Amino acid sequence: MHADVAAPDEVLLEPVFWSLFSVGGFITAFLLPVMLFLIFFAAPFHLWPGDPAAYATFLAHWKEPLVRLFFFVLIGGSLFHGTHRLKFMLMDAGFKGPAAEALLDLILNGVAIFGSLGALYYALRGWLF
Amino acid sequence: MPDSEVVFRVSRYRPESGGRPTFQEYRIPYRSDMVVLDGLNYIKDHLDPTLTFRWSCRMGICGSCGADVNGRPRLTCGTYIRDMRKGAVTVEPLSNFPILKDLVVDFDDFLDKLASVRPYIVRKDWGDLSKEYIQYPEDVDAYRQQSLCINCMLCYAACPVFGASPEFVGPAASALALRYIRDTRDEGGAERLARLNTKTGIWECTFVGECSVVCPKEVDPAAAIQTLKFLATTRHMRRLLMPGSASR
Amino acid sequence: MTVHEYPARRRRGWWLRNPRYLAFQLREAGGVVCALYGLILLNMLIQLRDGESAYAAFLNLLRTPPVLYLNVVLFALVLWHALTWFMLIGKAQPIQFTRQPLPWKVVFGINVLLWIGVSGAVVYLIFGGM
Ligand code: SF4
Ligand code: FES
Repeated sequence: MHADVAAPDEVLLEPVFWSLFSVGGFITAFLLPVMLFLIFFAAPFHLWPGDPAAYATFLAHWKEPLVRLFFFVLIGGSLFHGTHRLKFMLMDAGFKGPAAEALLDLILNGVAIFGSLGALYYALRGWLF
Repeated sequence: MPDSEVVFRVSRYRPESGGRPTFQEYRIPYRSDMVVLDGLNYIKDHLDPTLTFRWSCRMGICGSCGADVNGRPRLTCGTYIRDMRKGAVTVEPLSNFPILKDLVVDFDDFLDKLASVRPYIVRKDWGDLSKEYIQYPEDVDAYRQQSLCINCMLCYAACPVFGASPEFVGPAASALALRYIRDTRDEGGAERLARLNTKTGIWECTFVGECSVVCPKEVDPAAAIQTLKFLATTRHMRRLLMPGSASR
Repeated sequence: MTVHEYPARRRRGWWLRNPRYLAFQLREAGGVVCALYGLILLNMLIQLRDGESAYAAFLNLLRTPPVLYLNVVLFALVLWHALTWFMLIGKAQPIQFTRQPLPWKVVFGINVLLWIGVSGAVVYLIFGGM
């Protein structure tokens, strides 16, 4: 009978990474555009008085915990968001099957996790240790 | 009284000979109140009785007359020829499904998917069946939208994720799962979320959103799937953090 | 008589057949670009640690014309990603704050206003104003 078709196994990690992807979506949508504008385009296109990304300016701001938190959240959020999107784009392009998906998970989630830990390290460095 | 003629380019596939589907052109007399299905029926009755397609109600309720019309999935009984681009009307079988003959596609696999989400009220104990299970208007409102689905499969034809992985449970089956999860009389929510929290379940969805655009009944399966992702995640987190909790 | 079923297959170039599919693909690409910028920002912090000359060299590299113009294109994708994200929030609304779901355009509008406010706050709180 149709109704008793065996149910496939539940997945354990996808809900977790999907949550991080969603949170990352909010973070990147709200914070990334203004950030890129200030760092990349404000000074070279003369759209801003001074250079918000210049070494001395940026280093002065970097002393503040809020600025460090901001960078950690932004970097972690973009990585978890973007790697998840990339995984599904590659699966759609035909990179499918248990082995291929395990490899994608390993590499892409690895980049997101280690990148976020790296950002955390720099956010705490010179402040906590 | 025909005003003029219109050209129908109809996809033909002959199961006895195999090969690729080909197009055949028919000229039919056109009146401004004709729908695409009227054109197909004219062909079948007057020009070519071998043309095969499904239909029944002619009023957008049986869900059997879906086809790709000018490249987009539509109910042929609800699509006026006058609303199509000027020139030929191209009719092809719904995308992403195996073709049985001409415009008739094979839905069997959908029926298994639908059954797998248990699209009916599930109760652990039906108890006294002479008793009423009262529903207030707001209880019905909670699932009215998803309950309007007519299983026409237009959403599957519009879904590129289903096109790439046919095992994906897909839009309509997910929307119907949500319809029963939201029913105050139902107790099968955890079971359905367990089915959907799988590799072939809701996580394949990348929210392209085209299913909701083509749906003739405004079921909005894309939003239903996002809600299910949220419900499945909260259930999952609860189980991870409190393994002993009652919800399985 | 043998009967052959014609196998299901997605059309090649499906995403060019419908502008909404193309918009979707660009949105997905924009999401991936976000991860790329995540790595670039991480590298910026590494250069900051390495001192003024390393940091300045990195910043100048990002602002050489070819990289800069590539950045303009990628920035457009990030903007598209942000705008479509605000639309998607309106279209999905898994968490509703009102009894009936709000029309998606209202949610989109609220998000865009919020976005402008947040961007202004970032300019002042993170980069110390103009
Ligand atoms: S959700 Fe809409 S498009 Fe999909 S089968 Fe149901 S009525 Fe048809
Ligand atoms: S014929 Fe019944 S929906 Fe079109």
